Formats: sequence, C-alpha cells, structure tokens
Amino acid sequence: MSTKRIGVYICHCGVNIAQTVGIEELKSFAATLPQVKVAENYMYMCSEPGQELIRKDIKEKKLNRIVVVACSPRLHEPTFRNTLVSAGLNPYCLEIANVREQCSWVHKDKKVATSKAKSVVAAAVTKVALLEPLEEKEVSVTKTAMVVGGGIAGIQAALDIADSGFKTYLIEKEPSIGGHMMQLDKTFPTLDCSACILTPKMSDIKNHPNIELLAYSEVADVKGFVGNFKVTVKRKPRYIEEAICNACGTCAKYCSIAIIDRYNEGLSKLQALHIPFPQAIPAAYVVDPEECRYLKEGTCRQCEQVCKELNAINLDMQEESVELDVGTIVVATGFDVFDANRKPELGYGRYENVITGMEFERVVSAAGPNQGELLINGKKPKEVVFIQCVGSRDKTVGNEYCSRVCCMYTAKQAHLVREKLPDAKITIFYIDVRAFGKGYEEFYDRVKGESVYYRRGNVSEVYKKGDKLICRAEDTLLGKPIEVPADLVVLAVGIQPSAGARELGKLLKLSTSPDNFFLEAHPKLRPVDTGSDGVFLAGCCQGPKDIPDTVAQASASAAKAVIPLAQGKVKTETMVARVHEQACRACGYCVEACPYDAIELQLQEVNGREKSVAVVNEVLCKSCGACTGVCFSGAIQQTGFTDDQILAVIGAIGKEY
Amino acid sequence: MNFEPTIVAFLCNWCSYAGADLAGTSRFQYPANVRTVRVMCSSRINPAFIVNALLEGADGVLVSGCHPGECHYVSGNYLARRKLVLLRRFLEHLGIHPDRFRMSWVSASEGSKFADVIKEVTEAVRPLGPNQIKREQVWMQQAL
Amino acid sequence: MEEAYERCVYLERLGLFGCIQCGKCTAGCPINYVTPDREPFNIRTLVYDVLNAPSEEIASEKHFLWQCTTCATCSLRCPKEVEPKDVVMNLRSILVEDGTLPPSIRDVLKSISVNYNPWGLGKEKRAEWFKGLELKDAGEAETCLYVGCTPAFDNRLHKLARSTVACLQKAGIDFGIFGIEEICCGNEIKRLGDIWSFDALREANTEVFNGYETIKEIVSISPHCFNTFKNEYPGLTPRVTHYTEYFARLIAEGTFKPKKKVSKKVTYHDPCFLGKQNDIYDAPRSILTSIKGLIFEEFDRNRENSLCCEGGGGRMWIEIEDARERLANIRVRDAVDMGVDIIAVACPFCLLTLEDAVKAMDLEDKLQVLDIMEILAQA
Repeated sequence: MSTKRIGVYICHCGVNIAQTVGIEELKSFAATLPQVKVAENYMYMCSEPGQELIRKDIKEKKLNRIVVVACSPRLHEPTFRNTLVSAGLNPYCLEIANVREQCSWVHKDKKVATSKAKSVVAAAVTKVALLEPLEEKEVSVTKTAMVVGGGIAGIQAALDIADSGFKTYLIEKEPSIGGHMMQLDKTFPTLDCSACILTPKMSDIKNHPNIELLAYSEVADVKGFVGNFKVTVKRKPRYIEEAICNACGTCAKYCSIAIIDRYNEGLSKLQALHIPFPQAIPAAYVVDPEECRYLKEGTCRQCEQVCKELNAINLDMQEESVELDVGTIVVATGFDVFDANRKPELGYGRYENVITGMEFERVVSAAGPNQGELLINGKKPKEVVFIQCVGSRDKTVGNEYCSRVCCMYTAKQAHLVREKLPDAKITIFYIDVRAFGKGYEEFYDRVKGESVYYRRGNVSEVYKKGDKLICRAEDTLLGKPIEVPADLVVLAVGIQPSAGARELGKLLKLSTSPDNFFLEAHPKLRPVDTGSDGVFLAGCCQGPKDIPDTVAQASASAAKAVIPLAQGKVKTETMVARVHEQACRACGYCVEACPYDAIELQLQEVNGREKSVAVVNEVLCKSCGACTGVCFSGAIQQTGFTDDQILAVIGAIGKEY
Repeated sequence: MNFEPTIVAFLCNWCSYAGADLAGTSRFQYPANVRTVRVMCSSRINPAFIVNALLEGADGVLVSGCHPGECHYVSGNYLARRKLVLLRRFLEHLGIHPDRFRMSWVSASEGSKFADVIKEVTEAVRPLGPNQIKREQVWMQQAL
Repeated sequence: MEEAYERCVYLERLGLFGCIQCGKCTAGCPINYVTPDREPFNIRTLVYDVLNAPSEEIASEKHFLWQCTTCATCSLRCPKEVEPKDVVMNLRSILVEDGTLPPSIRDVLKSISVNYNPWGLGKEKRAEWFKGLELKDAGEAETCLYVGCTPAFDNRLHKLARSTVACLQKAGIDFGIFGIEEICCGNEIKRLGDIWSFDALREANTEVFNGYETIKEIVSISPHCFNTFKNEYPGLTPRVTHYTEYFARLIAEGTFKPKKKVSKKVTYHDPCFLGKQNDIYDAPRSILTSIKGLIFEEFDRNRENSLCCEGGGGRMWIEIEDARERLANIRVRDAVDMGVDIIAVACPFCLLTLEDAVKAMDLEDKLQVLDIMEILAQA
C-alpha cells in the first residue's frame, strides 16, 4: 500500500470549537500522527479562504487524503467533498472529525474536551488513510412520473409535472378525483367556493395531453428504483365503459337500489349505479359492486336495457392490471377525518344533532342534502356549539399533534352559520386558537366580531336535557364550569393519515413519523423528499395541512420529481457494497439481510471455475451495510465502511492520547 | 482519582448520530467518556466490532439506532437487534459483564435522550471498573 | 435543592407539566356539578396549584379534597394523560401522614389496622352473611368468590352476597369463599390516601391468594375490589374477574340460563370503577338483556358519560356538611322520569347510595334499586 499524504485542517468555528478545544495542542498532536504531512488551523474552514487553504495544500504539498476537524459531517461533508473535487482529488478521500456537535458543544472542561478531540482526530486520520477513491455512477431515467392520490395535492402535482413536459400518470382509488376539497363548502379565510376553485383544475387533468388519469385504481406493487420504477396498478371494474359513458344519467333512473352517499358523508342516498357528484372527473357513472342487485344476486340488468344505444354498461367487467414504467413518484394519499365515535362522551352517534365538521360542510353546501339550508331535523337550530380539538392534541386516541385546520374551519363554519342564521347563538369552545396563516388572524377577528362567543375551555361531555343538548365545559378564564345548551353541536374533527396509505408506504419503503404520517427526509431542509430516492410527498400524507400549504407542497414535490426526469439520469449511491468473489461462499445471508433486494446469488466464473457468488446491483444498493454486517467471510464490504476501516477506527478511538 | 471509563458508541447516521448532533446543537451536556463511531445503519455493525472495541480499550460499548419501525433503511434496526441480543448473552459467557454493552434507540429529534443515554451508560459502566480483557493488559501480563 | 428535585420528579411523574388547561377534567367532574359556588371543587385549578405551591400547603388548605369520589373521569377525559385523580390521592396521603383527618376517616383507618375492614366491626361479624349456607373453603375449588367488606358487613347487602352465591350454585359452579379469613382489598384505603395500610393489605392478600395453588380465578362482587386486584396488585397469580364478566360468560356459553320472566322496566347505572375505569360496559347489559320479560332502557347519561353515585374514593365514610344536591338524587330523578321500575347496579356502593336517595326522596313505592345479581337470582 502506497503511503498516504494526509492533511489535517482544524476549524475554530469562531469560538464554537476554539473555546473548549485547545486548537494549538490539537494541531501539534495531529502533526505527529502517521502519514500526516500538514496540520493547519483556520477561523472558519468552510469559508472560501478556508477551503482555498485546503486546495492550495493539495496542489502544492501533493496531499492525497484530507481530514477536516470541524462540525458534523451531516452539515459540511458535501461542501468539503466539492473542495477536494475542485483541487483535483477524489471527493471520497475525505474524513470529517466532528469536534463541535459531539465535543465542544457538549463538554465544558477544556482539558477533557481537548483529550477527546485528540481521539476523534486520531480515528479520522486512521480512517482516511484507508479510504479509497470511489466513483460516482449514473443510470438513465424513464421520463415519466406517477402521482398517487387525486385530491388537491395530487391534482396540483400532476399538473405541474405535466406542464413541465413529462408524461404523468395520476392514480386515484375513488371513481372520481377531487378528494376532500371537493366536499368542502367554502374555504377559509377567503370564503371561496371550494368546488368552484377546484373543478377547473379537475378539468385540466382531464384535458392535459401529458396526463393519463387512472381513476378507481390502486397501486398494487412497486419494483425498481429511482429513474426506473416498475409499477403495477390494479384497475377496479367500474362496470361502465369510462370512454363511452356520456354521463347522461338515464341508467341511474332505472336503478332501484339506494345506497349511502359518501360524498354527502352519508347524509343522503343515491343509486347503486351513480356518478359520485355532478362535476366528477372522469365524468362517468360507476356501479357499486357491494350493492348492485345483479352483481350480488345475479338478476336485474335493468340498466343495460336503457343504455342499449351507447352500450356503455358492462356488468361483466373484470379487474385489470396495468404495468407502468415511471422515473419518479409523488405520494399524495391525503387524509381521513378522525372518527368521532372514538370520543363517545361527546355524543356523536348517540345524538343526531351532534355532527362532524365534514358533515357540516355537506349540510351547508348548496350541493348538499338540504340544498344549502342549515336544517337539523327539518328545523333551523337556534343555538349552535362548536367543539375544537376532537381527535387532535389528544393522547388518549393516539393523536398528539395539532391538526392545523380545525381552528380555522370552525371559524369559517361559525361565519357560515351567522350568514344563514342571523339570530343564532354561536359558541366555540377552544383550548388555543391557532390562526397562523396569511389572513387567518384577521379572519378570526372578523368572525369574533360577528357575535360568535369564543369560550376558553373544552367540552368534557354532551348530554340531553329536554329537547336540548347540554355541552358541559369549564370556562377556564372564569374558572367556572358552564353548561351551554345547543340544538346543533359541531365537532371539529382532526386529520389522520388515510387508511390505505400504510400499504402504499410499505410498497415504496417509506418510513412514518410517530404521528403515523409519512416521514420526510429532513424536517427543515428536505421537506418533500423521502428516504426512498425518487419518491416525494405532497399534502396531508406527510402531516396535517390546509389547502394553501398543500398546494405549495404539491408544487414543490412536482419540482423535485421533475429534476431526475429533466436531467435524464440519476446518480446512484457511491458507498455501495462490493463482493470479493473468491472469498464469497454463497451462503446467501447478505441476500436475506438486504432490505432492497439488491443482492442475488449468481453463477460466475471465478479463477476459471464456475461458482455461485453474491452479486450486488449497485443501482438498487442504498449503502446501509446490512450485508457486510452479516457476512462471515468478509467477502462483501460496504465501501467507505469496510471492516478494515471500522476496525481501525475502533482501534484508534478507544485510546487515550 | 476516579476511574473514568471509555465508552465507544456506534451510531447510525440517520437517527442516533443526528440525535447526538442535536444534543450538541441544543447544548445538552454529557460525560466526555463517549467516543462515537458513525455507520450508516445499525445493521452494519458486526458483533465482532463490539468485542473488538472491548479488546481495544473500551470499557463499555453502546449501539444506538433508529426506533423500531423508523429505520431509514426500512428494517435494518430489527436486524441489528436480532444480532446484538444474541451477542449480549454471548458476552456473559465470555466473562464480560452484560452491562458493558447496551443498545438504545435514539431518533434524530431526541437530543436530550441521547445525552441521557450517555449519562446512563457511563454510570452503569463506572462501577464495573476497568475492562479486564483489554488487549494491552493481556500483553502486559505476557511480558511479565 | 434535593427536595425541590424530588418534587419535580413527582410532578413529572404525574405529567402535570403536560397540562394545557383545557378544563375537561373540571367540566367532567361529577362533584363539580354539585359543589357550592363559594367552595367549588375545581380539579384543574387544584392541579395548577400543585404545580406552583408546596403540596403540604395545598393539602391543609383545601377542605374539599375529601369530596372527590376518585371516579377518574378527570383522568379519562384528559387529552394529555395527566392524572388529576392521583394528585388528590397524593394530597390526601400528606394529610394521612400528618394525621390531620376528619374523625370519620380516622376511624376507618383505625378499623383497617385493627379489624382488616373499614366498617369498625370485629372479624367474627364477617361470618354473618353466609350463616346457614354450606360453602367450600377457598382452597377447595378453582374458583373463589371474594365477597368484599361491604356486602359482608352491611345487613342490606347480605342479600347481594347470598344472591351471588345462589346464582353460582344454580350455574353448578364449584367455588369456595375465604369466609372470616377474608380481609379488605384496600381499594378505598388507597384512595383515602393511606398508601401504607394499602401496601400492607396488598401484601397480605397477595400472599393468601398466591398461597392457594388451587385457585385459578377470583370472582369479585364489588368493582372496587376488582379494580385494585386487577390494576394495583402486581404479581397476583389467579385471574380476577368481576361477576358481571363472569356471568356474562356463563350466559354466553349456555352454562347459566335465566329461566323465569322478570316483567319489569329496568335501567342500569354504570359503576365508575367497572365502566369508566375498567371499560366493562357490555357485560352487565348482556346479563340484563338475557332475562326474559325484562325491558331494558338506557339512562341518557350512560357508559362513558355515566354520572357517579358519590360512593367511591372513601366517600362512604365522609360526611357532607352542606345540604347540597346529591348526585344519586339526580340519578334517581332521571330514572323516575324514564318511568322505570328498577335501577340495576353492579356495585355495593352504588346500591347503598342510590337506595338512600330513593328513601330520602320518598320514592320507595315507585322505584327499586337492585343489584344485577339480585335480579338474576329471581330469573
């Protein structure tokens, strides 16, 4: 092994490192370490002059390995890799010794901290001497994208990707796109009609030359990796030929089976053969197979008779499977509203006039069951109570987070009650009002000014007294229990990840945070990326969001998803596993350990003899090193983290210097 | 002088190493006895590393990864747990006090927990005194 | 400094720092319904007080501490898993340690240490309820009936204990009793704040129960005994079951078949220690609805929303000076409005408090209060 020429560069980080770690002492220590040719220090290593110092030494003193003694590699490793590249050195000939986050900031005693820093530097020097140059590889990319979920997040993401010139598949599990936003009556704080601002975008989806909509479909399987995903989509039978149906609606008139209208949150009924709502996209009817008399009992087929001319009805339709090749994926699986039955003390399910916020949207919607009239049991309520934080900020139901939309939708709903019932007494029970968005605090002020009583404290129970409901709470500002009678109680139910999201998460190897929403790659700096390269998050699948935030995140996600498509190629992981074929005994432990199915046993010619060996697909490999951790013979090694390198570090770091 | 144990901590890059960084950013103080070794995933850790660390001078070893179910590499931490639980029993047979080895789960957001874990490990190892299988001690005995 | 730290640990343990002052505890508190305005029992502000002042001071100042029935509605409603009920019990402990107790409670605690029951009666009186019955001793059967102090010592409740025995015999169950060797479970003692006596009772009972290797299942009459055995006796070997679960099981299996008609309109009052604290809501209802001819109707406030009868938390021994409204009266009035013949209960304390209310309101000709066991014994 050729000798290495190592340079050690110690950063003061102003006083961040220098006040706890003796820089001079550390420098003279570093200079004594084997193969170290240069040991330098500088106020800010990451500054341009600091980097120039390294570049100059690489060129003039022929350094071939660099140790930067500074902050966490999680911060500036990419910076210094680029420094090496610009000086003509392989970027992987670098090791960072973390003496800030894990030394100077967590210890006070200068002597102790300096001693620890010496161990850390010694370990880094030991490791850098063993590092080998690594090559960055690229693979080509299928220039199409897939968006999963056709709510506002998925719609926006699909439109943005398609507008960038790339073919986009939009997968929606329901018969129509639109999602929850389609169910909302108005949006806060502007009071735009929700459907009015959404339906143009839905039409755009339908008409966009780059978008192929697969409604009533679900992702069944995902194989491959960034740039080259192979997706299997299950298309549920609609029993109506989507391309032929002109949505005339004649068939539905002949369907005698009434089913619950889920678009109206079960507050009204429609036929088993139906269109989910008038503006549905695709504009085609659908048969509910659970309820259709023919599909259940084998007789009827009335609808087919009336559609003879078009012949759009096909009750023999079967489920289909479609294979898609896509380069990147946007996940926009949205949310489910909290099931209010889980808070039985609030009377939901027990009293008819206790409804959820989502039900309220349908009740007051002009397209809803009452044509927009606010009627409860046929009567206009005189006293309306809103209860906040139902299923949010609540450990007892496992939802510790704030759902972020309930404060504002409740304010909006209170405003709608006021608009429709000028004399109603409106009370809102709250714990904290979170009016954080643009124009939200102003809207909250406006609603309060409309004689809406905000009372601080939350309702503990709802019970019946005569023909009124009694909401019992403590007004915590008065320190007194109060009982507010109500004809209508609206529960501000929170947001939970959509029930089907977990399955999709498994297929895409997405992690979830403790709140069960999908986990982003970095909470601040990579908020739409995920741990799976080429998979991005948009909307409420990542955490509760209002519409403006959802749309913004969807566009961000689309922009991210377009990058690999536009570049046409992606870099693969560099520190991949490599196999020493002669040492490999083909036990297959690494194959089992690999979470990415990146390793398989193949017959290969080794030293003129054919034998079975482990072969790593370097594109699939994500550089975790699980394979190396189970290999008995040391045949498979994660580059950059080989057994030799780690053992050398262990040897160096446990010593006192 | 009090005995100050050396603790070698293997941290996964995505959770525990990030948690350790957060402890720093948040200025949670903890004993300087710990020396960290960064790996990408806890599943990378061969049980032999722990034995080696003990031979090479560590008085205690910590392995810390992502919380179960939150692994950056899907399931690496489960794999690590399966291997290392066995190792712990094996250490006992080697005559190494099981308290010298510990596993923990620290997420990227648990800076204070990381500091607590280091305090706990240091305090658990201190009463055990210097690790008797350090390679240098074996050599010293041979030299005599 | 050390003391302050200890205090901090105690506060953190109860999660008091997590309180977001939503007031659900106070609003759900049944005692808060009925305490007078001049000294309201506000559990939220009590928790807040404990965060900000030494507990000793608060314990000695807040006389309403003894009003709490430890029904646990506050703890259940809390979205942040704070345990306000434990704060009350903790403050009561301070008073027990100090010895500054209402005389009636001092008597109960004394009786526990002398007689191993809270009723101030001698051990031999425990034999009265099973006079004339031929029953096996605890060690002689796999199932054992734990009667509890109140059914054993209260004359009215002997009928409850004997009905339970009758039903078990009707079902052909091989069971034993602890007889006069039975001692208090300690549930109420712990809730009165005497954690020291509780520990002693727990140890003694655990030794006895675990000592009989034959015993597989202990059936308890009172939900209070059931609660402490189930949740506060770590290391107890036999399974502990409340009789409502036990008989619901027997009926579902077909081992016990209610035969006779009971043509009455019946409602059911959920005991806090059975329902709210142990989630047993369906078993008692399934027993009642299995009885022929019985018309079952729910209180408006049922299950998770049920109203406490004011019998728990040691309240059986605490006098209330104010001529304030009793929760049991509200319950009885609701039942009268519903036009039911019987309020069924599954707890000795509920039986006593509700029956007292019926008597005080002079409604004995209109309304009966019966334990489910007493109804089942007729069926």
